[in-house]
Amino acid sequence: MKLRVDGLTVRFRIPGATVHAVTDASFELSEGRCLALVGESGCGKSVMAHALLGLLPANATVTGHAWLDPTATRTDSSGEALDLITAPEKTLARQVRGRRIGLIPQSPAAHLTPVRTARAHLAETLRELGRTETPDALAARAGLRPEDLDRYPHQLSGGMAQRVANALALAGDPPLIIADEPTTGLDRPLVDATMTELRRLRDEGRAVLLITHDLRAAEQVADEVAVMYAGRIVELAEAESFFTRPRHPYARGLLDALPTRAFKPVPGRPPELTRLPAGCAFQPRCPLATPLCDEQPKLNGVACHHV
Amino acid sequence: MAAVEATAGRRPGRRPVLAVATLAVLVLAALVVPLVAQLDQQLVDLRSAGLPPSLAHPFGTDEVGRDVLLRSIYGLRVSMLVGLVAAVVSVVIGGLVGLVAGTLGGLVDRLLMRVVDGFNSLPHLLFGVFIVAMFAPSPTAVVVAVAVTHWTTAARIVRSEVLSLRGRPFVDAAISGGSTRARVIRRHFLPNLAPHLLLATVLMIPHAIWHETALSFLGLGLPPHMASLGNMINDGQRSLLAGDWWSSLFPGLLILLPTLALSALAQHVRDRANPRWRSELVL
Repeated sequence: MKLRVDGLTVRFRIPGATVHAVTDASFELSEGRCLALVGESGCGKSVMAHALLGLLPANATVTGHAWLDPTATRTDSSGEALDLITAPEKTLARQVRGRRIGLIPQSPAAHLTPVRTARAHLAETLRELGRTETPDALAARAGLRPEDLDRYPHQLSGGMAQRVANALALAGDPPLIIADEPTTGLDRPLVDATMTELRRLRDEGRAVLLITHDLRAAEQVADEVAVMYAGRIVELAEAESFFTRPRHPYARGLLDALPTRAFKPVPGRPPELTRLPAGCAFQPRCPLATPLCDEQPKLNGVACHHV
Repeated sequence: MAAVEATAGRRPGRRPVLAVATLAVLVLAALVVPLVAQLDQQLVDLRSAGLPPSLAHPFGTDEVGRDVLLRSIYGLRVSMLVGLVAAVVSVVIGGLVGLVAGTLGGLVDRLLMRVVDGFNSLPHLLFGVFIVAMFAPSPTAVVVAVAVTHWTTAARIVRSEVLSLRGRPFVDAAISGGSTRARVIRRHFLPNLAPHLLLATVLMIPHAIWHETALSFLGLGLPPHMASLGNMINDGQRSLLAGDWWSSLFPGLLILLPTLALSALAQHVRDRANPRWRSELVL
């Protein structure tokens, strides 16, 4: 097993309120598997990714555990078991980010320094990670042509910038890849190419955590799907059964909203994370809501009193 | 309306060519002429005092018979050098202050910016006069006076740019990968600041030249015997009353020409750096 998240909870203190960004999230991810974390914007998906990498701002409080290589022993070559939540920043910076976890960020072009070429980025990253691979070889692995590497970030197209970001994430050969909305702003062919790329990474034996609101993209690569709503995981299922028989009313609503299906949006809006309703957060929008829903349902594959 | 005029007035290539040519001629003259000059710029010749422009003396002679053209070029040399050094010194000081304020933030930032406000609240010229008065007249005194009164502009520019860079994802990425503050400054801040620093310096040079000439004109800047454009205008104003217009007009033009050319050049650089116009240039 590569990653075991156990009761992960993230709160943000803001003046006069507390943001319940992630509540009691638990899941497991194994080598050679892809878990897609899906849900509407603002449901806590990206916060989860940032919590795993220790990138949350100072006003965040994180509780729970996120074990990297939970079964590893001290002698394993990939590194010992590490709780990402309690690990010191120095350990995360020197041993985890880029080495044991690779992040494919949202808006990749913004993560490149405008004054240096793609090649300079790759060369520096490889050097810092102590790798002997050449930038050209690394670029080739990410589907970039050598001549693309001499461009500056503003000369890269969205798809090329995406591939540079992929190459950077792969530079340290990390066994766990977190892709945080990697398809934002890309058109369909590029989304498909990105998903093919993630599928290849998974087939190489890496664990892939894909964070997206694009269900069609998730369907192409995911082995498992976790649906988040208002900071909680409301359904955790094998991808095949999820896309054919979603169980949670919210998951059903999301799939029905796809243009290729009923094209019927979920009515209403997600609740504000500072003022969550008591019990099931989805009940104000839920067609099945009953007084029973005032009690928080437990997650047992699906968190709903009615399925 | 203003935007339309600015766009219409921007003819790529033409204005900078004129400005660059003017600058090139003047800089070349300032560099080369003193090396090859046949006359001594300080040579007093009372027989040919106060001569109007002629073939032998194209800019005329001053009230003690020195050649105004030759002295103007020597003066230009001094003014340009003082202007350049003062501009570089003030941008370096301001850049350091802005970098520290923007990088450290918090209390340090607030304190430094209040110091900047304090310096800005003093009238430039008056404060400059106060500073040169503490030294014997010399180029160093003028450089110090201009730098002390003008570093604040660069400090503000650099600080605001650093603040915006600090929030950019590539800086977050560098920090999350374990980069130290020094490394972020060296690898990310300085390269991204370079065009701003260059522009600030170029814009500062004409300003510094004006201040040097103003201080010299008031008799406080450079030593009176030194041929500087400000000193020459100061000397020339006495003969102006007698109708000898040339001994102050030509040095005056030599202040205007390079500073206007530099301003035009800086404006052009700024236009090109503006992405809205840059895209037009590409199309």
